[in-house]
Amino acid sequence: MTAGILQAFASLAVPTPTPSTVPGANIFTSAFILSIGIWAPVVMAFVIGVMPNPRGRYDTLIKQIAFFTNLVVLFILFVAYNQFQNFLPSLQYEENRQWLPAIGAAYHLGVDGPGILMVMLSALVGIISVLASSGIRTRVRSYFVLLLLAQSCVTGAIVAHDLFVLVLFWSAATVPLALLILGWGGPRREAAAWRLAGYWGAGTVALVLAVAGIYVATGATSFDMDVVLKAPLGARAEVIIGLALVLAAATRLPLFPLHGWVRDVYSDAPIGVVVVVASTASRLGAYVLLRVLVAGEPDGAKLLAPLIAGLAAVTVVYGAIAALRSIDIRHAAANLALVPGGVTALGLAALTPLSITGSVLSLFAGGMASALVVTVFAILSDRAQTRNVQVLSGLAARMPKLAWLTVLAGLGVLGVPLMATFTANEMTFFGAFRTQPVGAFAVAAGLALAAIAVAVLIQRVLFGPPNPDAPAVSDSSLSESWFLGLMAGALLWVGIVPGGPKIPGTDTPLFDPGVVNQMVANIPEISSPYGGTATP
Amino acid sequence: MVIAPLASFVIAVSSVRTRRGSVNTAMFGALVTLAATLLVGWGLAKRTSGFTASYVYLTANVGLNGPTAFQNFEVDIVLHADHLSVVALAVIELCLIGVLGWHRIAGRSEPGPARFQALISALLFGCVGTLLSTDLAELFTFWALTGGATYLMLAHRWGDEAAARSGRIALALPFLTDLFLLCGIAVLYSRYGQQNLSLLVPVLHTTAGWTVRQIAVASVLLFVGVAGRMALWPLHSWLTQTATTAPPAASAIAAAVWPVVGATVMYRLLPIFVNSNADTMRWFVIACGMSAVFAGLYSLVSMEPRKALILAGAGVTAIGAAITIHGFQYHGFTFAVAGLACVYAAAPARAAGELAASNIANAMRTDDMREMGDAWRRMRSSAAVLLGVAIALGVSAAGALAIGVDSRARFGMTLGEAVFVVAFAAMRVFLATSSGPLHRRRAFEPDRVRDAPRASLGWPYWLVLGSLVLAAASLVPAWLTFLDNGKHATATAAAYALWVAVALAGLAAAALSIGRSKDGSLRASSWLSLLPERLESAGQNVLSRYVVNPAVRIVESTERAVPAADAAVARISHVSGRYTVAALHSGDVGVLVVMAVLLSLLVALISPGVLR
Repeated sequence: MTAGILQAFASLAVPTPTPSTVPGANIFTSAFILSIGIWAPVVMAFVIGVMPNPRGRYDTLIKQIAFFTNLVVLFILFVAYNQFQNFLPSLQYEENRQWLPAIGAAYHLGVDGPGILMVMLSALVGIISVLASSGIRTRVRSYFVLLLLAQSCVTGAIVAHDLFVLVLFWSAATVPLALLILGWGGPRREAAAWRLAGYWGAGTVALVLAVAGIYVATGATSFDMDVVLKAPLGARAEVIIGLALVLAAATRLPLFPLHGWVRDVYSDAPIGVVVVVASTASRLGAYVLLRVLVAGEPDGAKLLAPLIAGLAAVTVVYGAIAALRSIDIRHAAANLALVPGGVTALGLAALTPLSITGSVLSLFAGGMASALVVTVFAILSDRAQTRNVQVLSGLAARMPKLAWLTVLAGLGVLGVPLMATFTANEMTFFGAFRTQPVGAFAVAAGLALAAIAVAVLIQRVLFGPPNPDAPAVSDSSLSESWFLGLMAGALLWVGIVPGGPKIPGTDTPLFDPGVVNQMVANIPEISSPYGGTATP
Repeated sequence: MVIAPLASFVIAVSSVRTRRGSVNTAMFGALVTLAATLLVGWGLAKRTSGFTASYVYLTANVGLNGPTAFQNFEVDIVLHADHLSVVALAVIELCLIGVLGWHRIAGRSEPGPARFQALISALLFGCVGTLLSTDLAELFTFWALTGGATYLMLAHRWGDEAAARSGRIALALPFLTDLFLLCGIAVLYSRYGQQNLSLLVPVLHTTAGWTVRQIAVASVLLFVGVAGRMALWPLHSWLTQTATTAPPAASAIAAAVWPVVGATVMYRLLPIFVNSNADTMRWFVIACGMSAVFAGLYSLVSMEPRKALILAGAGVTAIGAAITIHGFQYHGFTFAVAGLACVYAAAPARAAGELAASNIANAMRTDDMREMGDAWRRMRSSAAVLLGVAIALGVSAAGALAIGVDSRARFGMTLGEAVFVVAFAAMRVFLATSSGPLHRRRAFEPDRVRDAPRASLGWPYWLVLGSLVLAAASLVPAWLTFLDNGKHATATAAAYALWVAVALAGLAAAALSIGRSKDGSLRASSWLSLLPERLESAGQNVLSRYVVNPAVRIVESTERAVPAADAAVARISHVSGRYTVAALHSGDVGVLVVMAVLLSLLVALISPGVLR
């Protein structure tokens, strides 16, 4: 029996048959890599939930468990990312088990190029959110249980290849996040939590209706994306389903006018929760749009493209102006965080291969930039003990680390060269000008306004003369600098070497095969219905 | 050439903390870059083709079908050094070295020394990358980097509210025109799938589905993008508004460097403009001509010396741009590069003028020329620099005009008028600051006016000298041949004499006007300046009233309305929930039945097959 158990574990890890020699190849693979990424946090959440913690004696241990869980998951997924074969158009690390045969639901997971990128983002964000939550002192056990559950729901929604499973994970993510905000948020936590639940709940309803529509229209036999998204539907059906999907995406990403939760959630949620919401949980909106509408409903996508482009343009312009007029720096940051989402939506609306690629990169880069800008201003306001931009002034000299990180955050949101968002924006704009020139120009104009907003904010808060009436300030702590630095570093890394560093003199990747190289797997197939739009 | 400024930037940012150390680091980086530039130039002297180095930055396979050009997206770092880029870089580096040398002594009171010098290195890095790029995406990347460094330099005095406010214009306006440039590049890519200039131009008319309109739209976008950074009137305010609030060195660098970069980039983009249509080219020429005249006129009515010099320099840049575009207008014309030579000649003079005018304005503690005077006696060095600047700006276009323009044509007369006005305006600055008495004012004692520290005085002189040398070189066809490897005809001596005479006439007219009655002339300028100021103010009011304020009001109303709407929805939900619970508790089945009927009716109405 012992031998059998050992054999079973051994069979989980087999060398990966990677054809070319890349660093990280032949370490291991497993039939359950994605499940490990989803359920390991759930298992550890259960462990944390049941372990005794009399009077908070093991709070530190709980944080360490959460940290190392995410670290192990990150390591495993990083190996998977390295071994990902970007020349294959099919799903990789696929898991397919029958679950509810009566309705055609299956436990079907898998990743392609965009999926592996989002999974890496989720894994990285997991570590960052735990580091950002190191300051939690009350009900630590409950906090980290909910945080781990939220992370697993987000990862599950990313890798789900069955619409039923996708909807389950998508909707499940709302509950732990709302509870986290309600339990550990700021003064307006109740409003923030209920707004999040309300908007995301409405989006879930829309998504359920869309999925139900697809299910019924394709014969009500299966939820598998390989089946239902390849079945042709009429243009009218695709438009109606597409509208529901756009509604779902607009509540999550968010897009104007369904952005009402952003200000309260980003300004009153705990920082670790803000990281998860701003970077991955909100990007699920665009991800679902890509996976279902763009990849599966081409006629609907083409007809709804102007609507999505319009919403994207209005979102960017609105976010920029609102940030410029905000007196509360956390509100300003929350409004600035809308900008990368608008660019992502523009790329999906343009429906050219290049704009879709740019949009996929923008999922990673924009998510990281949004999270960075919101969290850095949150920490700035905490450290400066006020959020009022009219009180804050001249902080750079007294908070040099935070000043640098704030500047990087602002540059990241704008898409300045050397930042990952620049490459994403460039691809999006270059691809969008063919089919959505007005929307592209409007988004570009919104970026100009956002630049002014960032400049005004940074100048007032960081570089004005010090205000003698302002409260005492302190620079960021080591853990704060670490997780902010991780986010900024990720943006810079992908911006400087998007194709991954190479061993000098060769084409062999060093330890990162390159985000751009990995993410393009399957994008040509996704964009193939739109290849004709690239024809002059 | 690329690594040296980047290395000095990294060193300045990471290790250097003192003023002297940071200046030395920036100066060293600029000198090494200049040495590398001259070395490359020496190598190019023996060849006709340039040097090229290429690195793959990004390559992605994005499509399976459609034209091949759109199936892959590549951004390569392609650095191509030819005669033109080397000369342009040398001019920029000389300007930067001169300004750094001046700033080392005269800029001691500026805050954040390490940061400022680091930004100069960053700007140099961006300029090198821009001028050596042949890939449009790469060019835009370096262009945006250079623009960012420029903004940070112009808004350097962050502690000062006036500087911060004017710094926002230095961010907003050029950023907007940069977006035009990006849009132009994006339009071209979306049609042709090509970003490399040398591969794009041959296929402009051969790619299936091309239209003149597309190329024209792209050309207009590219032109506006470049014109904004060149600060051609009316896109000049980002330089003039920061002239008195930014550090003088920053103003000088921005005024000198960007016309060189912009004109060179425009020269490289002109083969695209040419492929649009004759009308588009004609409108570009007209725009540049009008810009030259109006910039000169605006300079005439400006009461601040630094602003006046910026506008005069913008007039010269516009003249150069007009000649360059005109040179591409008709097949067989070869004088386009003469326009560039004009811009290169004016650049060092523009920098020197800003520095000298700053010396005088700081010493006399005023930015109003009506309150200035007697600088020739009290601050002779700075005043002499201003005289040299006036001459240099006046004659810098002479060579280009002699080679490229017929003085009897309307175009020639317009540009001649622009040269006259620019020379007049530049000389006016010299005379207004140098002649006449310097009046005592409240808390200002004229006898205590002194020139800038001696060690800083030489640098503007060298810049003016360099400008005059380049202006003289622009008269020589061999210089133009070196620039573009093409054959150039020699203009007649009469043509050269004519255009130099026009410039001299402008200088003389200014001398007559100011010499006769300085106060009267300046009063007249002040009165005339009211009109453009009122027009500008009216334009800003219209923009604020009909665009900015409504947009802001809409956003603010939405910010208030969204939470209110959420609260209303929540209240309705709460009330309906309480009502439902109450109905359940009271056992009022009738209410439930009514609700069920209403719901069924609603579903039936929206379902197909009932009413439809």
